[in-house]
Amino acid sequence: MNGDDARDGNGDAGKPPEGDLSARLRRLEAQIERKRPSAAPGTSSRPQDTGRTPLAQAMTLSTEFVAGVIAGGILGWIVDHVFGTKPWGLIVLLLLGCVAGFYNVLRASGFGGTRPQRRDGSDR
Amino acid sequence: MAVTIDPIHQFELKSLVPLGHIGHQQLAFTQSALYMFAAVGVIALITIVATASRSIVPGRIQSLAEVFYEFIDDTVYQATGEGGRKFMPLVFSLFMFVLILNLFGMIPYAFAVTSHLIITFGLAALVISVVVGYGVYKHGAHFFGLFVPSGVPKVLLAILVPIEIISFISRPISLSVRLFANMLAGHIAMKIFAFFVVQLLLAGAWSVLSPLPLFLTIALTALEFLVAALQAYVFATLTAIYLNDALHPGH
Repeated sequence: MNGDDARDGNGDAGKPPEGDLSARLRRLEAQIERKRPSAAPGTSSRPQDTGRTPLAQAMTLSTEFVAGVIAGGILGWIVDHVFGTKPWGLIVLLLLGCVAGFYNVLRASGFGGTRPQRRDGSDR
Repeated sequence: MAVTIDPIHQFELKSLVPLGHIGHQQLAFTQSALYMFAAVGVIALITIVATASRSIVPGRIQSLAEVFYEFIDDTVYQATGEGGRKFMPLVFSLFMFVLILNLFGMIPYAFAVTSHLIITFGLAALVISVVVGYGVYKHGAHFFGLFVPSGVPKVLLAILVPIEIISFISRPISLSVRLFANMLAGHIAMKIFAFFVVQLLLAGAWSVLSPLPLFLTIALTALEFLVAALQAYVFATLTAIYLNDALHPGH
């Protein structure tokens, strides 16, 4: 800490402190401006991918399919319960849940990501 | 000599202060709740106490807090754009809560709160209700355009819309099951491999093999630390991505 303070003091000693500070601020702003646009539109092609390491992406894939099937099963069970359409609601929605599971996996892995891509293009 | 193993035992809830009953369900202040309070305490320590001095050259804990803050801010910004900034506190709280609880679980003899499905599902339900609530509040019925993919023939919509709805409902499930399953499986695996060491040591001549599972246990411990951090990160990222749907629903 002391070392840093000393270095700062040395840097300020050479030039007038006011101008140096505002110059530094401007330089920082320029740097931020240079970084921002590249971070925003460059990576916006698919929100699914942004800021995620491949490892994190792989971790998410494992449950996507199962979750779709479970969601379909729960929905089917509820539909059967409410409308008294026993086995049919469960059968149909479980199958749809499987499809949704595949859909989840495809979207998470980057295939068939047409919808998010188009949406992003029009949004930003 | 028979040594019995019970890898599930570590996940049992122990009531510390019984609070009464609702129907047949016992209400109690459990060790799970205690760990959650401890986690909030640690997070408060990192974020409030350490940054109280607001020194320009940050100290150790302050720079730790700044690293977390900037990391989550970056994640939220990349996933949602400028409009998502207001959700940064929510994502940051969730990330810190999950991360600290995951890491608490790595302390020997400690209890892993996030290995309980109801905890992770509670967090996921919070995220999804924020997404739906904010989406409907901000975009009204337009929010449900999320379920209607654009540029698709009308005939296919009859199949695609239910699939999209199921896919949306599966989000809180996958979000909660992922975190819960990773923590549960990791802790069970560590326990079992560690038990192999004991079992081999008691197996006479076979005990020469006992360093094998010991090394595996060490490797697994390292892996679990990675998983603990990574799952917190995945939770935060997916929260940000789902919030993006609330901010910019379709078309």
